[in-house]
Amino acid sequence: MNTGEPFSPSKALMILPVLILLGLFFGSVIYLFSNAFTAGDGFSMKYFQQIIDRPDYIVVFIRTIIASVIVALLAVILSYPIALLLWRADKWRNMLLIIVLVPWLVSLVVRTYGWIVLLGTKGFINSMLIWIGVIEDPLSLMFNDLGVIIGLTHVLIPFAVISILSSLLQIENNLEEASRVLGAGPVQTFRYIVLPLSLPGAFTALIVIYLACIGAIVTPILLGGLSQKFVGSQIYQEVMYAFNMNKAAAWSICLLALSFLSLVILKKIERRVLRGQE
Amino acid sequence: MPRMNRSLKLLGIILLCALPAPIFIVIGASFNGGAYIQFPPESVSLRWYLEAFADPRWLDAFLTSFWMAAVTAIITTAVSFLTAYYVLRYAPRIASMLEIAIFSPLFFPHAAMGVALVALIAELGLLGRAPGIILAHLIVVLPFSYRPIYISLRSIDPDLMRAANVLGASEWRALKDIILPMCRSGILTSLLFSGIISFDEVTVTMFLIGPEITTLPVQIFTFIQDRASPVLAAISTISVIVTFLAVLILERVAGLAFFVQRDSSA
Repeated sequence: MNTGEPFSPSKALMILPVLILLGLFFGSVIYLFSNAFTAGDGFSMKYFQQIIDRPDYIVVFIRTIIASVIVALLAVILSYPIALLLWRADKWRNMLLIIVLVPWLVSLVVRTYGWIVLLGTKGFINSMLIWIGVIEDPLSLMFNDLGVIIGLTHVLIPFAVISILSSLLQIENNLEEASRVLGAGPVQTFRYIVLPLSLPGAFTALIVIYLACIGAIVTPILLGGLSQKFVGSQIYQEVMYAFNMNKAAAWSICLLALSFLSLVILKKIERRVLRGQE
Repeated sequence: MPRMNRSLKLLGIILLCALPAPIFIVIGASFNGGAYIQFPPESVSLRWYLEAFADPRWLDAFLTSFWMAAVTAIITTAVSFLTAYYVLRYAPRIASMLEIAIFSPLFFPHAAMGVALVALIAELGLLGRAPGIILAHLIVVLPFSYRPIYISLRSIDPDLMRAANVLGASEWRALKDIILPMCRSGILTSLLFSGIISFDEVTVTMFLIGPEITTLPVQIFTFIQDRASPVLAAISTISVIVTFLAVLILERVAGLAFFVQRDSSA
């Protein structure tokens, strides 16, 4: 719709609302920094020192990073068969897409609650296994890292499916046909045509899911409990129970730094892999 | 198109069915008569729904979430439309810069966003009040609202606008009779999508509620931590139905193509 009209100041009022919203967002980020680096009246690294000095806090960071990497990889790998299924299901695609979209859009708490009902000591899986007679005492499936990884993976798979599917839908049909005519089997076609062309979507999913995981609060608290802390649950506790906004801000800055660093590394890997495919 | 490998297809179907499974478990549990979630269920009953409706806190939270989602959806859609229209028509040069700014909250970890917004909203004196929560939701949903509107506005042929101008239509007239109708599916997608996200938002919202006001997902979260009563399954089922209906309406009125459309600029 680009008509390239000349600039007019009165029309510029149209972007005022968005500038206010963005201004408030970036303003809140500035607040975050000032809260994290201020103690009493002046500049201070006190809150960061408090975090770095505690070995158990470092464990929280490492646990969060490892779990997030596992979740991101799992989610992308498990999404591939679903995305391929939707890609091939021309007539049914819309209906199948609803099956993917609804779990994605249903509230995070509800989906996590579903996993509590499934994994809890008195939950569905344990009651069923005891009823069948496979086990006598309930297995501990949640309030540990396993529960958090299962929950987060399930919560984030729909996004990966959508991201990979949108890449797949860009592949032209005749590319596959050409590959077949030239004598490639289905495995070769997948390896040399479908997989490389779907990698951009897979990488987007990997990055977004990883970032969503390291900043997650609800699932780690509900499925991990307060003993197996993630960075998100630590921040929640700092705000809600300790009322220490400055320390929560310092944690948030560490989280931001971690995401930024991870983003740079992941982008570098993405570029290398995509270049290697050419 | 060649057919898909059979075992891969089967795996895809199984994994696809696993996605809504926990939601179905919750729905099933909501009709369980016992005090615990059991297998096999003790009896079928509606007692948890009756209990949910008897407690005014749930109705309050539901209505709060609902009207705040509606207000958020309408404001954010209007803001996105004005922005996208202005950028495409008057300032294409700032398009990519503005887009980066609009999409930047997406790469911001939610936990950090909650802490950042709680400080700002407290400073504005809006903590624990509806305008504070709506403000936060507007920032969270903006990228999801902007994208469908921007894509559908961009696909409109600029010649149509020129033709309208040449034929003497005012800008307002052209906007009302040409642009808005052609942008209909983008606007509807933005309204429903941002409404759903706002209705279900919990991670940022839980920092901003107060004794006077809470939303449905945050109240569910608080109750789960307190004690997992099956009344939560009944409430969750109601929340699932609202989201499901919104997705169905979205599919009917605008289609789902926006979700799988890959946009080079976004």
